[in-house]
Amino acid sequence: MAIAGHAAAIAAFRFFLLTSPLAIVVVVSLVVGLLMVVLFGYTSDQKAIGVAKDELKAYLLAVRLYRDQIPVVMGSYGKILRGTGRYLKLAFKPLLYVIIPIILLMVQIDRYLGQTPIPVNAPFLITVHLSDQYVSSLTADALDSVTLDLPPEITMTAPALHISAESEIVWRLAGSKEGKYEVKVAAAGQSVAKSVCVGSDLARISTVRLRGHFWERMFSSAEPALPETSPIESVAINYPDRNIEIAGYGVNWIWLFFILSMVAGFIFKELLGIQI
Amino acid sequence: MKRLRLVGTGRSPVTTRVLLIALIFLPALALAYAGPGAGFAVLSSFWAIFVAFLYSVYALMTWPIRQLFRFMRRRNAYGKATFERAVILGFDGMDPELADRFMNEGRLPNLVKLRDKGTFSKLRTTFPPISPVAWSTFMTGVNPGKHNIYDFLARDTSNYLPFLSSAEIKGPKRHIKIGKYSIPFGKTQIKGMRKGTPFWHWLGNAGIFSSVIRVPVTFPPEKFQGVLLSGMCVPDLKGSQGTFCLCTTRASSDKFREGGVRVPIERKNGVCRSYIPGPDSPLAEKAGTELRVNFEIRPEPGLKSARFAVGSEKFALKVGEYSEWIPAEFKAGLGFTAHGICRFYLKELSPEVEVYVTPVNIDPGHPDLPISHPVTYSIYLAKLFGAYATLGLAEDTWALNEHVLDDDAFLAQAYGNHEDRERMLFDALEKTKQGLCTCVFDTTDRVQHMFWRYLEEDHPAARDVPHSQHPPVIQDLYERMDRLIGRVMEKIDDDTLLLVISDHGFKSFARCMNLNAWLHQNGYLTLKDGKTESGDWFEDVDWSRTRAYTMGLNGLYLNIKGREKQGIVDAAEVEALKAELQQKLNGLVDPASGTVGITGVFIADNVYRGPYTENSPDLIVGYGAGYRASWDSVMGKVTARIFEDNIKAWSGDHCIDPRLVPGVLFSSHKFIAEKPAIVDVAPTILKLFGLALPAHFDGKPWNLAAKAR
Repeated sequence: MAIAGHAAAIAAFRFFLLTSPLAIVVVVSLVVGLLMVVLFGYTSDQKAIGVAKDELKAYLLAVRLYRDQIPVVMGSYGKILRGTGRYLKLAFKPLLYVIIPIILLMVQIDRYLGQTPIPVNAPFLITVHLSDQYVSSLTADALDSVTLDLPPEITMTAPALHISAESEIVWRLAGSKEGKYEVKVAAAGQSVAKSVCVGSDLARISTVRLRGHFWERMFSSAEPALPETSPIESVAINYPDRNIEIAGYGVNWIWLFFILSMVAGFIFKELLGIQI
Repeated sequence: MKRLRLVGTGRSPVTTRVLLIALIFLPALALAYAGPGAGFAVLSSFWAIFVAFLYSVYALMTWPIRQLFRFMRRRNAYGKATFERAVILGFDGMDPELADRFMNEGRLPNLVKLRDKGTFSKLRTTFPPISPVAWSTFMTGVNPGKHNIYDFLARDTSNYLPFLSSAEIKGPKRHIKIGKYSIPFGKTQIKGMRKGTPFWHWLGNAGIFSSVIRVPVTFPPEKFQGVLLSGMCVPDLKGSQGTFCLCTTRASSDKFREGGVRVPIERKNGVCRSYIPGPDSPLAEKAGTELRVNFEIRPEPGLKSARFAVGSEKFALKVGEYSEWIPAEFKAGLGFTAHGICRFYLKELSPEVEVYVTPVNIDPGHPDLPISHPVTYSIYLAKLFGAYATLGLAEDTWALNEHVLDDDAFLAQAYGNHEDRERMLFDALEKTKQGLCTCVFDTTDRVQHMFWRYLEEDHPAARDVPHSQHPPVIQDLYERMDRLIGRVMEKIDDDTLLLVISDHGFKSFARCMNLNAWLHQNGYLTLKDGKTESGDWFEDVDWSRTRAYTMGLNGLYLNIKGREKQGIVDAAEVEALKAELQQKLNGLVDPASGTVGITGVFIADNVYRGPYTENSPDLIVGYGAGYRASWDSVMGKVTARIFEDNIKAWSGDHCIDPRLVPGVLFSSHKFIAEKPAIVDVAPTILKLFGLALPAHFDGKPWNLAAKAR
């Protein structure tokens, strides 16, 4: 009985770790803090950073030791500023190295923790942006030619809104059942699909599907690029932002990650004897 | 410290940088994703700037108030000063005869400039001419009877054992026993034994700032207006005046006579393991439980270098090379850690492995005992220049005496310390544009002690080296000091007084005299029945039949009834006994050479005045040139022979008749002074800054020939 209880507790804890956004952020922050410190240690000139930091401390102490000698104090301020610049220069290069893997990792985590899926029966907007070239090549009300093909679980709750000045069409939709669906948008005889996630669980979410825009796609989209020949430039869904509850306050995971990973980093740097 | 770089990224640096910059600057989100790395950098820099900003606001806001307060309290501190600044360079042991000789040989152009423009003179020293005595007189302006320092050692009249004359260090009084631990409560008690007030305290009271670096007998540091780094007499982490360590695979049961320990190296599977002995554990119930720091040596193929691992520090050394200062943390448990630093010197890798480790110095960046005023000054210097030697006698003369270090290794160590000291001096010069800046260099003393043998044709300690092959070590030393003076002269103007002084001169130390042996053979000191010699510290002396004894370098003590625990000399006999010993010892001839071994014996009452004369020796023995108290005699040992050759590397000395070893006085401005003495420096400086001289001063200020302000 006790063994079964213990196993159940472990299973529950694993489930919590896998599904709780807070647990994920904490674990990821610890791991990233450790990785950052190790990578920083391997890619930085530790000796030079140590010297730069020590000199900064020395200039600070000089201000205190020679406080009645204003020329010394002012000179020390100048050295503090120069020393800070030198330190930042030394820290910048390893920072460049460590940013790449961290950014790629964060982008992937943001797919899960950045937004929540659309709640069941809650209205949401899908915005289709057409290329200006396509719009200008057609006659008035070109936007009328764009159609939406919905699965049975997704319903339209309001007529389409055309924003001609922006070459955009916005529909208000709602999902009646949890699941991952595809909404098809057709224009100029071409149809493209956009995923829609309805539900409450942790899920991989893509807020937008884009044509071209390599860098933006890398950071914002989790779907393949739209065909180059398509008149549609983007299809976006306004998923709600996810907030993690901390002491009654909703916090974006990025801020929580930023703080926790730094705390972890400061702890690990002491344990590993790495100069930051 | 290791310096590691990212390798094998498989992408050209230019491409990588372009990609990275693109990643950072294109999408705004990426900046947020920079995460902890950027956070670390920004926070650390921000911290520095923020603290600096707070300091600046504080300093600027309070500066006028502080200046007003100072003005009201002291009026204009420099109003009556003849100079804006005084710079005193103390070259311990610089000898006037050698300086004169080398100047005449054209070796010392900067000292020649000082001589021609200002002053060059002999500087009378103290009785006896020993550094702690002379520098105490330098700083206090009084004779030893008023500052209480007569030698490195003083004797305990209750047991005839020695103790360090300058400072007393005691652990916390209270301990609480918990299990196997005895936890100390309270602070370590450090009591300075030197009395009198250093002249920079008088300057500070008048609002004149001082930077004082490594002046002997300034441990423990005292509070005053200025900064001070303690010098000679600062102990090592073990509490001794310097205990080196020879780690070796050679089996030997020999013990070093003084100053060092031998530690075995265990060799297994190509890895050598040993340890650095540290201080006693403050938590151990049993006294003498030594703390240790283990280390590993991994010889490289070819056996010309090895990799070391000491705690988290890893470094490589070639044979014949010193490491940087390496942190050594001695952990006692319960969070008690003693912080030290030491340097490793790889002596040999084949056939045996030998490593010399310097005495473990107090870590200046993390001082467990106060070694500076304020405490942050030693930290400031460590942060600015890196770790440095803090031990009072930092140059390991014992290791050279014991052949653990050779000449080159000793000189490398000594000049390494000297370069650190130079950096400190120039920083102090930059920071002290007004006031006093004084720095004492010990290198002159240590190098002359250890290499005088090469200055003479027939020194017993260098008879195995033909005179033509004697290296010009002392000539090089004086030239190096001269170059230092030149660089200092470039930093000062006519409104700065530069003094170059030494506490004593130097002479050969070719013959040793065991004064205890003489006392024994002349019936003043009696050994226990059946003994013909005595061990260290009078082990076999029969005090009930002993009237006089000596310990330390120049002091001779009577075994006076009521003063010494087993004293037998009645008060009524004291004067007669002093006169008798003076008469017999004065002019004592070394039968082997026919040379006078003792040129003067001075009765303490005639040379000392002041409240602490009761602690002085009864007689001061002035050895002749070429002579000094034997190593055994210093340690209270009685030998069969009175005179013998000195064959140790320690071949020059100054602990002799003070009239034979005056110091030097060079100055940038001409002084009119008849027979200037080291005791005159303090009153001279106070007078030049326009201060009244304290009535108790023994020194007399020198008059400046002419100086327009």
